[in-house]
Amino acid sequence: MSSPAHAVPSMLEVSKLRYILATDCGSTTTKAILVERRGEGSAADAGSWRQTQRAEAPTTVEEPFADVTIGVSNALTEIGELAGRRFIADDGTIIRRSHEGDPNGCDLYISTSSAGGGLQMVVAGVVAQMTAASAKRAALGAGAIVMDTIAANDKRKPHERIQRIRELRPDMVLISGGTDGGNVQQVVQIAEQIAPAKPRPRFGGEYELPVIFAGNADAAPQVRAIFGARGEKGFDLAVVQNLRPTLEQENLGPARDKIHDVFLEHVMAHAPGYDRLMSWSDAPIMPTPGAVGDILQRIAARDGLNAVCVDIGGATTDVFSVFGGVFNRTVSANLGMSYSISNVCAEAGMENVLRWVPIEMDERELRNRVKNKMIRPTTIPQTAEALVFEQAVAREALRLAYVQHKEFATTLKGVQQQRTVGDLFSQQASGQSIVNDMTLDLLVASGGVLSHAPRVEQTASMLIDSFEPQGFTQLAKDSIFMMPHLGVLASVHAPAAMEVFERDCLVRLGWCVAATSAAGTASRHWGKKCFTYRVSGAVSASGELTCGEVALVRVGIDQEVEVVVEPTKEFDLGAGFGKSVVRRLKGGSAGIFFDARGRPLMLPEKEADRKAAVARWDAVWST
Amino acid sequence: MDRPHLTCLRRTSTRLFVAATPILLLATTVTAAAEEQSGWINTARVPLLIALVLICGAVIAGIAIARTGRPLHIRKLAALDAVEEAIGRATEMGRSVLFVPGIQDMTDIQTVAGVTVLGRVAKIAAEYDARLEVPTARSIVMAAARETVRAAHYSAGRPESYNEANIYYITDEQFGYVAAVTGKMVREKPAACFYMGAFYAESLLFAENGNSIGAIQIAGTAEPSQLPFFVAACDYTLIGEEFFAASAYLSGERDQLGSVKGQDFGKLLITAAILIGCALATAAVFMPSLTDAASTFKAILGG
Repeated sequence: MSSPAHAVPSMLEVSKLRYILATDCGSTTTKAILVERRGEGSAADAGSWRQTQRAEAPTTVEEPFADVTIGVSNALTEIGELAGRRFIADDGTIIRRSHEGDPNGCDLYISTSSAGGGLQMVVAGVVAQMTAASAKRAALGAGAIVMDTIAANDKRKPHERIQRIRELRPDMVLISGGTDGGNVQQVVQIAEQIAPAKPRPRFGGEYELPVIFAGNADAAPQVRAIFGARGEKGFDLAVVQNLRPTLEQENLGPARDKIHDVFLEHVMAHAPGYDRLMSWSDAPIMPTPGAVGDILQRIAARDGLNAVCVDIGGATTDVFSVFGGVFNRTVSANLGMSYSISNVCAEAGMENVLRWVPIEMDERELRNRVKNKMIRPTTIPQTAEALVFEQAVAREALRLAYVQHKEFATTLKGVQQQRTVGDLFSQQASGQSIVNDMTLDLLVASGGVLSHAPRVEQTASMLIDSFEPQGFTQLAKDSIFMMPHLGVLASVHAPAAMEVFERDCLVRLGWCVAATSAAGTASRHWGKKCFTYRVSGAVSASGELTCGEVALVRVGIDQEVEVVVEPTKEFDLGAGFGKSVVRRLKGGSAGIFFDARGRPLMLPEKEADRKAAVARWDAVWST
Repeated sequence: MDRPHLTCLRRTSTRLFVAATPILLLATTVTAAAEEQSGWINTARVPLLIALVLICGAVIAGIAIARTGRPLHIRKLAALDAVEEAIGRATEMGRSVLFVPGIQDMTDIQTVAGVTVLGRVAKIAAEYDARLEVPTARSIVMAAARETVRAAHYSAGRPESYNEANIYYITDEQFGYVAAVTGKMVREKPAACFYMGAFYAESLLFAENGNSIGAIQIAGTAEPSQLPFFVAACDYTLIGEEFFAASAYLSGERDQLGSVKGQDFGKLLITAAILIGCALATAAVFMPSLTDAASTFKAILGG
């Protein structure tokens, strides 16, 4: 990543930091948190970093204010009132602590932003499944929304591509294509289609559209000639290392860093009030999803975990994953709980939504409910019935988003395979998903419907039903959607970010212990013995589950237990079919969920049986 | 690609097959009966008649079901799915795609199947604007390959990118052909190599050379002795029957899909007979009382 635009004040070294303010400027709300280092003393958390206050204010990036710093000032003023410190001076700027005992001000201010729709990009490559897919991964990983992917094999004619590019108003364009020493002709052709299309940027009339070229180095001179020098043809071209120097290697780092730089230099500089906000910030402003991805990667790397994080919003659902150290992010643009709720119902089918509803519901009334939610996106369920329905929709939105994520997070395509004669009958194609539910260690939920569910068991059951984790998986939720703040904080003070993440950000719900069966056989085993479990330690419990049953054992956050599970030969809990597993686990606010419904999860076909099963699971997990 | 004259030809041949099958079966049984004893029916061959009726019936039923529009599932063939990936690799690397349709003439069914796969490869190559080279060992194969590739380019909407000079004849001589092709491989380093057809001693020479230049290689042959070489050295291999099924898989043509399904039933029947026979013969060794049953089963199968 680039060096911070504004260095941390030298007067206060990182080790002497005490008050850190972080904001996340969203499209509608600016959320601020205060992270504070506890004073030395005898208290249990003395000297540790904690998130102590939180406040929010409406974002003011749109007219009539058209200045994002107004919203930031409002949020920081509120947080100051809560903390008993002044953070905003009379002239509207942020007060800095001048000395150790200063009763006002902060030591560090940092921010993320997704206001105005976040960072919107168009990416291009030669082959959609190869360099164009890598370009998309680079853009998504940097926190962008990919508006379209242009590729030589996208089955569109040149004039159709040009028309499409003209219709879009991206913040920047990323062009890749060709391995180093490889294809030049088609890379240049793509550039030749983008340049005359002259996509108009969203902000500023004199804004030169940033174009990042991360393709075949041999094509760079011709691409430079096409886009011209800065100020010549309305483009600002930056050339970075090829993101696929060979097809066997993906090098996303330089392209991602450049996207961050350009985001700051161009996009942020032209958005209303961001020049002022950037002058306040002590670290580069990061796109919100980029910051979330950053903290997830750090946590996964530190603890050696495979982790998935989902953020379900009103219009979109973001899924982040780290498997084997490989980070992936997808944005499901049409899956959300308000603006996109209608699309969730259309894409999943009303019958799939209703399979999670154990009570009688009138379909016409449900359709009205969906449309009402679309036109009044901020409403929340007022009745238990409405809540059940909303959570059913959430299950399907999450399931579809995760399916899309699995399809995107794959091994590289176009790579030579090494075979032996033993592969005679098992020739696996490349491009297999790297997302393996059995090796998933941590599943983190975020977004209103998950974070604000009335009971933590509801959050957990939504995660289990939609993600279908296998084996042992820890479930958690982001308490107040603090991960963006911590992501940007980690770029300045990683230990503080990690500490706050552990102590205040994650609400550990518990564990899901789920058995998987051979594909498509779950319903065949329905009603037969699946596995036995034995919990000992701080809490004692044991039982036997038949396929189709679930159980919940309450184990508190600070309690530690040993769990022994013994599956029958048709089921696997991580050690192989029929092999028992022993794990020491720490509890959570809900406990340990034992799931013997098999994978993939199949619900009974008969409506009466299905409703009875869903009601039974709900009852077990609510007790 | 849907060509009316071909569709018409297929329908006519299917009708002929349907009409000829019972006549053929009856003739076989009656002829055998006439040879062995006086009488119209040789009862010893009745089981064979039943088996033939079942298998041919399954093929006819498969075709009839396919024609009703009911979707017929054919297992995904990783090798065919990888065609796009291999050509994509060649496109990204700015290198050519090499297609070797075996060393036999068009009289060999494997060459015919290879040329069918060539149609698919050529269409994707045309869409990706990748250069496809097809060196042949028979002049007739060259002519057929040129026609197939030309049609594929038209079908892809890229007639201007067709270059018949890329499909050429080298020699009928086995190792002369191998030397020319492998030499080209080493010099030009194609990024994707396809070997689809009848291969003999040259299979490993091609596959090893392709492997050494880092190409994605996809092979398909029905020569059992050459399969291990292809499996070990290539990325993907169409094994025996898969190679022929590939034609149906690629075309999506209902008659072909239906006949593949029918043939599958026949194979299942034969496999079941082999298993029962083995089990009976083995059991008869330990339980002499089953010897008669084993002999009867053998006789039923015409042994």
